[in-house]
Amino acid sequence: MYITDLRSISPQKTYTNEFLKGELVHHDGIIFNVTEPDYMELIPRGLLRRMGKAVRMGVGTGLPLIQNNKNIDGILMGTANGGLENCIDFLNQIVEYDEGMLTPTNFVQSTPNAIAGQLALMDQNRGYNTTYTNGGHAFENTLLDALLLFEEGNAKKLLIGGIEEISNYNYNIDFLADHYKEVAVGNFDLIDSLTKGSVCGEGSNMFIVESEASQYYAKIEDVEQLTFPKEEDIELCVKSILERNNIQHNEIDTLMLGMNGDIDHNVWYEHVSEQLFPDTNVLTFKHLVGEYRTCTSFAVWLSAHILNGERSFMSSIEKRKIENKPIQHILIYNHFDEVNHSFILLKK
Amino acid sequence: MERVFVTGTGVVSALGIGVESSIAKLRNGESGIGSAKHFTSKYTNTLPFGEVDLSNDQLIDLTRCADETGVSRTTLLAYLAVGQAIDSSKLTIDELKSIRTGIISSTTVGGMCHTDELYTDANLKGEPSEYVRSYGLGEHTTRLIKKFEIGGFSSTINTACSSSANAVMLGARLIKSGRLDRVIVGGSDALAKFAVNGFNALMILSENPCKPFDKNRDGLTLGEGAGYLVLEAESVCQNKEKLAEVVGYGNANDAFHPSTTSEEAFGPCYAMQRALDSCKMNPTQIDYINAHGTGTVNNDETELFAFHKIFGEIPAFNSTKSYTGHTLAASGAIESIFSIAMMNNGELYTNLRCSEPLDTFGTPQILDYKAGVEINHIMTNSFGFGGNCTSVIYSKI
Repeated sequence: MYITDLRSISPQKTYTNEFLKGELVHHDGIIFNVTEPDYMELIPRGLLRRMGKAVRMGVGTGLPLIQNNKNIDGILMGTANGGLENCIDFLNQIVEYDEGMLTPTNFVQSTPNAIAGQLALMDQNRGYNTTYTNGGHAFENTLLDALLLFEEGNAKKLLIGGIEEISNYNYNIDFLADHYKEVAVGNFDLIDSLTKGSVCGEGSNMFIVESEASQYYAKIEDVEQLTFPKEEDIELCVKSILERNNIQHNEIDTLMLGMNGDIDHNVWYEHVSEQLFPDTNVLTFKHLVGEYRTCTSFAVWLSAHILNGERSFMSSIEKRKIENKPIQHILIYNHFDEVNHSFILLKK
Repeated sequence: MERVFVTGTGVVSALGIGVESSIAKLRNGESGIGSAKHFTSKYTNTLPFGEVDLSNDQLIDLTRCADETGVSRTTLLAYLAVGQAIDSSKLTIDELKSIRTGIISSTTVGGMCHTDELYTDANLKGEPSEYVRSYGLGEHTTRLIKKFEIGGFSSTINTACSSSANAVMLGARLIKSGRLDRVIVGGSDALAKFAVNGFNALMILSENPCKPFDKNRDGLTLGEGAGYLVLEAESVCQNKEKLAEVVGYGNANDAFHPSTTSEEAFGPCYAMQRALDSCKMNPTQIDYINAHGTGTVNNDETELFAFHKIFGEIPAFNSTKSYTGHTLAASGAIESIFSIAMMNNGELYTNLRCSEPLDTFGTPQILDYKAGVEINHIMTNSFGFGGNCTSVIYSKI
């Protein structure tokens, strides 16, 4: 399937063109917040006030895509947590008002399917509509579903995306669960910091994907996912995704890896870059946007722009550069917390 | 293209554990709705619930997981139902471990049913609770993968109350595409203060056990439970007993309002029509519909109107939520399991508490138990917040 349009709200200036021109945002703490656009032109004030951050970011990225691309056959979203801030705000009211009479806005806004639902409502889109919440595989699930819909002939054009918001609450919960570093490093030192934990990111990255296209940013060939793999399973998975798509091992010129500065997590990435693909370019992305469960949607956004010839930001993401290896195929490899692993294969 | 068969089912709800004991109660018209014994909330004094009559400790014993920490009630219910589904399909360890065996689960509350612990953890009000890694919606799926050693693809869906119907649909599509040989599909939701207070704020909870499709209905009853089906490709289950075939499915969005269905019932109509189209079936071939039938004023009126639009002459239907309450993400799978049993038993179970049936289009509600009925094709409906509507069609073997 082909990426024919895309949008991103991220901790970098990706909503406007500054990032693609090479301007980078530095983050020094543990929390990498997004640069939100001014939504006022896009979303009526009354509606905007009721929206939580996840829904707001989702509409901010999805609505322009819907407006610029007519006749979308369905909307598929991936978000591990949805509008968690609204969710815990509602929960806090439950506890603090001892289950008194509450207003339902937070409740309705907090359900993860509120984003795909809101976009369907705004587009009056009665097509296929679903929301995946499968932790570190939530966005990957949307890719597979989209591939299936095209294969079945039930769609030609879809809106897909991955969204995660940072709220104090999910930061607190993941902090207690040891996901984050105790001492912050600047984001451009993150990848090589190699201590325990990573940093907390967020974003909304959305795509118009089509089954046929003459003009496009990149082609998404395939997606594979593994849960609790053993080291040898990773190699088998690489083999199967390449075989299925008739791509030779040496045709993979570039890896985009989910390295996040966590010393325990890094072992997996090193295995893939050192053992399985020692002669490829290696790119990284989490120092730009932080770690979150659907961050592979940003990796796809970034890869699509690279395959479309954008280069201004390359020096900030190159970890290993091989001479005379033009970028034609990007294999994204990511895992969240060593549990959910995935490969996404993109082609120029 | 592979045909997709149901070869095993597992269910736990207010009607008890297991398909057979649940069906006995459906046959006798015995509702599982009543006062909650295990769930703690201010509303247990004033509202009825469809509670699973087992404490967390009893569930831990039954699912033999005392050595695990932070297992949420949602996960415990899922453990119980998935275990039954695997046993009922007689899946072997090797089959489960295969990369061609997947799991697609669903939940709306996940570990958030442990509201007080979540409050403490999210607001950093004390030491981390044992559930600190268990709140996420995908967490129960990850634990199911570990416990039952499921080797292949996994997914978790949250399209609110249509979640597990979408799990069935995705599972069937993955088998038809040749990507999987077998897949366990379903959902689990435990009673949670979060959902009770949310639905209460929307003013759609009834003070009495719900009365789906009755003129005097005044809201839904929340329930809890888990339902899972084992789906297998024809090529790998040739010598096995098959319970039903998954033949059709349709998904649509109503695109009207975050929490109510449009008067025109666009979403429900598209979901049902797409399900029929997907298996090239005429509406007249459907012998029974398991309605979404929550018992709210809005749902039942719009769903009935959708039946009229799609079917003209509406087939026999009921809402088994009058027995279990609304089990949210689990409802599509639980109701599929009940409907398949009805089809195989040739019985129609009574839609409870429907003393003054909505009669705009006749009264096709099942008002009395009937046996010896030929049922060949059935449809189940699941409609959720966010406009998410899904219908699934099963056929008799």
